[in-house]
Formats: sequence, structure tokens, C-alpha cells
Amino acid sequence: MSENFFKKQSKSHFELLYGMLLDAIPSSVLMVDDKLHVVSVNRNFLLKSQRSLANTVGRPLSEVFPTIILENTGIEERILKVFRSGAPVNGQKMTYRAPGVPIRIYYYSILPIPINRIMLLMEDVTEQVRLSEEVRRIERHLASVVESASDIVLSTDIEGRILTWNSAAEKLSGLNSYEVHGQYFFDFCNTNQKQAVRMIFMRMKNSNESHTTEFHLITPSNGDSILISWVFSPMKDDYGQTVGTVVVGRDLAERRKLELQLRQSQKLTALGVMAGGIAHEIRNPLAVCSSAAQFLLEDGINPEFHKECSRKIQANIQKASAIIENLLRFARSSLDTEMVEVDLLVVLKETVELIANQAKVQKIQILLPAKKDYILVPGVRGLLQQVFMNIFLNAINAMPEGGIMSIMVETFEDRVTVRITDTGVGIPAGELDKIFDPFHTSSPVGQGTGLGLSICYSIIQQHLGSIQAESRRGEGATLIVTLPLL
Amino acid sequence: MPILIVDDEPDMCWVISHIIQSQGLNVVTAYNGKDACFKLKHGDFSLVFIDAKLPDMDGLEVARIASMMRDRPRVIMVSGYHYCDDPVVRHAVSENIICGFLAKPFTNTEILRILNAQLI
Repeated sequence: MSENFFKKQSKSHFELLYGMLLDAIPSSVLMVDDKLHVVSVNRNFLLKSQRSLANTVGRPLSEVFPTIILENTGIEERILKVFRSGAPVNGQKMTYRAPGVPIRIYYYSILPIPINRIMLLMEDVTEQVRLSEEVRRIERHLASVVESASDIVLSTDIEGRILTWNSAAEKLSGLNSYEVHGQYFFDFCNTNQKQAVRMIFMRMKNSNESHTTEFHLITPSNGDSILISWVFSPMKDDYGQTVGTVVVGRDLAERRKLELQLRQSQKLTALGVMAGGIAHEIRNPLAVCSSAAQFLLEDGINPEFHKECSRKIQANIQKASAIIENLLRFARSSLDTEMVEVDLLVVLKETVELIANQAKVQKIQILLPAKKDYILVPGVRGLLQQVFMNIFLNAINAMPEGGIMSIMVETFEDRVTVRITDTGVGIPAGELDKIFDPFHTSSPVGQGTGLGLSICYSIIQQHLGSIQAESRRGEGATLIVTLPLL
Repeated sequence: MPILIVDDEPDMCWVISHIIQSQGLNVVTAYNGKDACFKLKHGDFSLVFIDAKLPDMDGLEVARIASMMRDRPRVIMVSGYHYCDDPVVRHAVSENIICGFLAKPFTNTEILRILNAQLI
């Protein structure tokens, strides 16, 4: 008896437990008999369908589910099929809208139960579907961002084999995405760059930082190549492991053209500043020539004086011509951009000659280094001259009451530094780190573009050198240009 | 009384000296501001031709010093830097620091005219 009691007790206990278990499941569970009547149902189903237990259990399925679902899903037919075959139906999609609630999306399974019943399991996947649609939307958006970018954007695996290649890359290289897919990226670089680019991909494997560089991309369609500024960034997975590399590249042709224009216009500004000094300097020899010629027109001059006048005329024409030649050389030289062997001392000396007039007008003494033989650097002569011209003019402008500008040149093992020190007003501490920014200027409106030092910076960078400034307010400033030796 | 010529360009001094000497007058030259001030202090000049831009001083500064002397000489500024109706020049004339301006390049008769006007 007691055994029976326990059996009975435990049976109802288990039923209770399973009932609770089923009610706790956030999915809908229905048990249906072979007459398609609902035998049992869990709480979640009643909640979602907004039905009571009384008008659900014992009712036919056709009464419990709306007609539209029965028609669209053919669920009754499917259940009967499961009864016949005994094989379950898994993961079908169903859209269900109970009266007064928003649309829900379900995945349902029909599972046979040995006691001639089936279990209908319905899982609400509305949220998952919404999320996956969101993910797809974001993916589409990201893809169109990459595709619409005017910069080259490509991705590779960790070995540097191309995985994606956007339309800017197709346009600039003339190579279609399917042509390059799976190919090594460095195969599209100039021969002498291949090894270096391969090394960048090697480095990406263990790096967290981007790598910036410039090299040519081959454009096989016209057998040519274009100069691109590249940024390589490692692509990491959730565990911080490099799984590939993202490479972004920008066509430098346009930027180079703009830089050239900017330098040229800045040069014209510098020429404007020099004009005052030059006018003074050219009018002196002109005045000498003019007066000497008038002496020659006088009657009865002695042969010795005649010769002297002619010599003065010739010498002063030479002088004026030399000033003009310097000026022309400065105005034109930026058009050549080829790096050649340049004697830095000659560049400094010629630039000092150009500003000597202006310095004299402002009572500024220029101290040049004691003459060494030569200091050779790889560079573009005109660009280096523009850099020193800017620095010199800045120094002169900083000394409206006159002063001293000294130039010191020092060579080290592999580099040379030029220090240009003035005794002018100096640069306030807060502005020291801004002076190389474009359009930063301490001059009144209309007297300086604020481009001079930013252009110096870009030119020196192009020469693989560096430029720094040191100063204290009221104690003058020192500009330090460092360049690699040849 | 001699005439002082101040210009850092020796050829300019040569030109002006020659014109003045052709009139039988004496000339003293100075190539910078400091030298000019020294000579002004220790000499007695009726007329000074002075360049506007000297390596150590502004020509106007020298002119101002000359204008404060007891026997003040007449000062003519000769310059390629300024032009004749330059505000700086007009201001200096109105302040009576200089009494004339001559733009480079000049004709020799312009110098002669100044000499005649000043010496009458």
C-alpha cells in the first residue's frame, strides 16, 4: 500500500514538475492527437496566442490557429504526414499574428510521440530575424561605404593574398576584383618594392599598429604605375590574433599637384616680401650706370676717366644682372622635383645672397658658417632653397629693430643639421607646437599666409629629414633642419 | 665747407663725389651710419647726401641726429628704396628732418640743381 502510495505520489509529483518545466520554456509546446485535436498546451502558447486553457485543450487545431496560418503553412497536412511516416519535420518558418499584437515569426518542428500523438514545438525567432536583418543591413552599408570610397580599400589574408578589392582599386589599377582575388598583393608592386611589401605583411602578423608608406602600384593595362600613399593595418579577431590585413591607399598624383601649386604660391609671397630689398639693390647699380653714362656725354673728359666710367657701367650692369638671375632661379626652380646630389653649403650661400638686401634694409647681420669644402645631401635644390628662404625671412621678420641671424652647420655620421638662430621676438611657448600647422601665422592679416613653415615641413619630410623649433619669448628662436647625408 | 656723402655703396659715393668735385667743392664720404655720425660731430658740413638704408642705421636716424646739431647742415636723402611721394619721405620733410629727396637713379643735373639751390 505504501509502495502504491509512493508510486501515486511520485507520479503526480512528476506530472507537476513536467507541467512546471513546460510552462517555464519560452517556446510554445502543443500536443496534438491523430484527430488533430489539442491534447495539451503550455503556458507560453496561451500567452502568445492570447487564449485560455479551456477554449484550447480538446479543441481542433483549425479552431486554435487562425485560418491564414493553416492555409499558408499547410500545418495540418504536415502533422498528418508525420503521423503516417513517423519522421519529424524540423525548422519550418511560420509568421503569426494574434489579434492586437505585433507580428511574430516562429520556427516550428513537428515531432512524433510514440503514444500516437505529435508534439508541435514553436520557437519565437522574431528578435533573431530582426537582428539578422539588421546585421545584413549594416553589412550592406559597410560594403557600400568601402565600395563608394575614392581611396583604395583592400583586405588580405595573413600571407598577403587579396580577399577584397573595392571599386576605387579597380578603377586606379585597371584590374577587376576577380582578377586579383587570391593573388599576392605584392605581385602588383614594382619589382624593387616587392620584398619590402612582403616584410610589411610579415610584420602585421605580430603588430597592433598601422604602417604608413608610399610606393608605386602597377597598372598593367597601360604598363605604367601610379604613386600611392598606403596605410597597412592588422585585422584582429576577438582573441586579438591577426587574421588579415586591411590596406588603404590614396592616389598621390592629385596631392602632389596641389603641393606644387601651394609651394609655388607661397614662393610668390616670399618674393613679395623680398621685393622691397631687391628694388633698393637694383636701383643702386642703375644709378651708378646712369650717372657714369652722363659723365661720358660730357665734353673734354680725359681718357683715364673715360675708361673708369666704362668699367663702372659694366661692373654695375653685372651686379644688377646677378640680382635678377638669383631672383629668377628662385622663382622658377620648384618645377624640377628630381632628387640629385646637392651641396647644402652652396644652397645656403645662394639663399643668403637672395635675402641679403632685405636683411641690410632691416639692419640685420647674417653670420654664415666658416667655409668648409662641401656637404652633399640628396635633394631638390629649388625646394631646399625654398625651405631656407622661408626660415630666413621668418627670422628677419622677427627682428624689426635689427639683430643677428646666425647659421650653424654641423655634420654627424649620417646626417647634417643646420641651426638658424635669430635674436628676435621669439615664439611663445604655447605656439611652438603649432608653427608647422598650415595657416598658423603671427603676422597681421594680409602680411603672411601662414603657409611658409608648413610647406618647409612637407619639403623636409620629402627629403627624409626633420625640422624643429626652439624658442623662448623675447629670446629669439632657433630652427633646426636635419637632413640625411649622401 | 665740405659736403658729406653717406652711402654704403662705394660706387654711389664715387658718382656723387665726382659731380660735386666737378663744381670745385670738397667732399667727405662715409660708408655707414656710425662713421657718418662721427664725421658730422667732428666736421662742419653745409650739405649732406644720405642713403636711406645703411648697414647699421637708418638714413633718417642719421638725418635726425644731424638736425639736432648746432650748425645743422641741410640733408638730402638719396634712395632707391623709397619713392618721392612716399609717406615716410613726406613725413620727414614736414618734420624738417630732411630738406629734399632724390630717387635713384637720378640725373647728374638733379644733383647740380640741388647744389646750386643749397649754396645760394
